[in-house]
Amino acid sequence: MSGLTIIVPVKAAVPNVTAVRLDPVTHNLVREGVPLMLNPYDRNALEFALRLKDRYGGKVITLSMAPPSGKDFLESTIGMGADEAYLITDRAFAGADTLATSYTVARSIQRLFPNFDLIVFGEETTDSTTAHMPAQVASWLSLPFVYYAVDAEVKLEDRLIVVTRYLEDEGVYETYEYKMPIIISVYKNSNPPRDISLVRKVEAKLNGLVKVVDNNTLKLERECIGLRGSPTIVAKIEDAKPIERKKQIFKGDPKEAAKWLLDNLTKEGVIRP
Amino acid sequence: MSAAQAQQKICSEWNPVNKNEHKGIWVYVEYVNGVIKDGSLQLIGKARELASKINTDVTAIMLGSNLGDVVKEPIYYGADRVIYVDHPALAKYVPHIYANVIVQLANKYKPEIILFAATKRGRELAPYVANSLRTGITADCTELDVDPKTRDLDQVRPTYGGNILAHIRTPTRRPQLASVRPNVFPTPPRDTSRKGEIIAETIDSIPNINGQGLIEVRPVVKGEELPPVEKADIVVVAGRGVGSADGVKLLTELARLLGGTIGGTKKVVDAGWLPADRQVGQTGKTIRPTLYIGVGVSGAIQHVFGMKESKVIVAINSDPNAPIFQYADYGIVGDYRDVVKELIELLRNYKK
Ligand SMILES: Cc1cc2nc3c(=O)[nH]c(=O)nc-3n(C[C@H](O)[C@H](O)[C@H](O)COP(=O)(O)OP(=O)(O)OC[C@H]3O[C@@H](n4cnc5c(N)ncnc54)[C@H](O)[C@@H]3O)c2cc1C
Repeated sequence: MSGLTIIVPVKAAVPNVTAVRLDPVTHNLVREGVPLMLNPYDRNALEFALRLKDRYGGKVITLSMAPPSGKDFLESTIGMGADEAYLITDRAFAGADTLATSYTVARSIQRLFPNFDLIVFGEETTDSTTAHMPAQVASWLSLPFVYYAVDAEVKLEDRLIVVTRYLEDEGVYETYEYKMPIIISVYKNSNPPRDISLVRKVEAKLNGLVKVVDNNTLKLERECIGLRGSPTIVAKIEDAKPIERKKQIFKGDPKEAAKWLLDNLTKEGVIRP
Repeated sequence: MSAAQAQQKICSEWNPVNKNEHKGIWVYVEYVNGVIKDGSLQLIGKARELASKINTDVTAIMLGSNLGDVVKEPIYYGADRVIYVDHPALAKYVPHIYANVIVQLANKYKPEIILFAATKRGRELAPYVANSLRTGITADCTELDVDPKTRDLDQVRPTYGGNILAHIRTPTRRPQLASVRPNVFPTPPRDTSRKGEIIAETIDSIPNINGQGLIEVRPVVKGEELPPVEKADIVVVAGRGVGSADGVKLLTELARLLGGTIGGTKKVVDAGWLPADRQVGQTGKTIRPTLYIGVGVSGAIQHVFGMKESKVIVAINSDPNAPIFQYADYGIVGDYRDVVKELIELLRNYKK
């Protein structure tokens, strides 16, 4: 009975989202000069995967569709405990929206690791926050999927997995049982990640442990990837316009401040003392 | 189809789309554990507005088992039509089963737009549905509009921390999918005299669950009785500046006296002073109460993202330069302990 083969797709996120520049013509993110880091919530996903590996054996493989500079944060995933890391990179993948990205990720996994048991994603990325990828990849692969996982148990002999997930907006835990393979996304406030071992990370760099795969290997159809495989377009960008506020400020004695505030709120009709 | 479109080669895994065949706006009405989600009803209101601009109608989609009279509810909130699937296999929510049924309905009826409330379940379902229809989707829109000429949905979404608004379109594919966070749009009034068409739909095949699917549901037992942040008219939000869990307690007292509830910034949740479901902001909840009171909150863009639509905003902060004052109608500069103590005292006296 073999252990689990777990794929953890990860993303290079922009660390400081508020300092981001967009190209005024293409509306794409200007990536040059912007340092990239491992999306924080992907670390919770990697932790989730590593815990399963610790319990049931097998291997954890990280994979990212990223520019060539993505090698560095993939080395971090090895530093955290991943057994292997793959950088999926090609000019042809550029300009992809979530559909084209999910296509590239799904088909890469199918070609490179056809016998995987689980694909484990982070809940969302901190820079684009769509949470699309897990469900879109599930759709390309026609597999069951479940979001917001906090824990899982595996019955290796039956290849079954029992996943518990937390729905924050309902305050409910749900438990699902599926035959593997399935796709999971991990609740971002769960599975606090272990540290990244710098020694392992440096070893990964020195030994060139991150494997690079381009579209000469994958042979994905041009019309399905990058800009051409993306049904959505950014038609326009603009600065967010805030609502006009009264901006009345009170400085001084707290007693008077409290009275001033309650009087104004009563006048506004938002409290009824 | 234009000549240019006809010529352009598309991905061999995409179906060809004839845009003219697609008509009508759909809202997926989320119904779980006996409750219709407010976020879905709010989208019916928005869909009405969009439908009138392009001269079409609004259809609500409902799934479940033994649905009964609840299928009439979307009509009361403004839908012209309800298409529902009532099937024992839908008694329990299983993501890929629910998503698959919606895909089958969309393939049969060919709507031009499908809207989802961006609840936790909605965020899970919508991308699977979109992808299976080989079309685009935009998450967490804060505004929606429609171009009467092209019938393209203008999907407005804050991006990169909320200081940029992106207008996203899906010009060549149909349907066009978008999700919208709960409470971005108001809930339309419920009018039980409204009439509409109700269609019981059957589906060809329910996909395999591949296992037992949902086997257990366990609600979290909540110690305190204050309502969730997205449900209250008055929300007092604790920031890192309240200094400790005791500070949060003091604000909870204030919230109680005002008949409201307590929420927190990410820093307060990270410190463990409040549970994660009380976090307000980009990675927490979006709220639009009539009164927001931020105490010891600096006003970071990611926080403001989740509260800027509040009717009246109050800030209490010791730093006169705190960014939160830029978003406030009423601001008090001072140590929150003194100010909140006085507020509590005054409110107690009012009560007497
Ligand atoms: C990807 C990402 C997502 C995020 N999502 C969210 C989110 O959803 N929600 C969220 O809230 N944040 C979010 N953040 C964090 C956000 O950037 C801020 O760090 C956070 O909102 C700050 O919380 P705060 O205002 O409580 O604390 P601080 O910024 O530390 O501010 C504390 C304030 O308290 C004031 N203060 C101190 N002492 C007193 C006193 N005695 N009396 C009165 N005032 C006092 C100070 O002047 C200061 O203004 C996110 C960040 C990132 C990068």
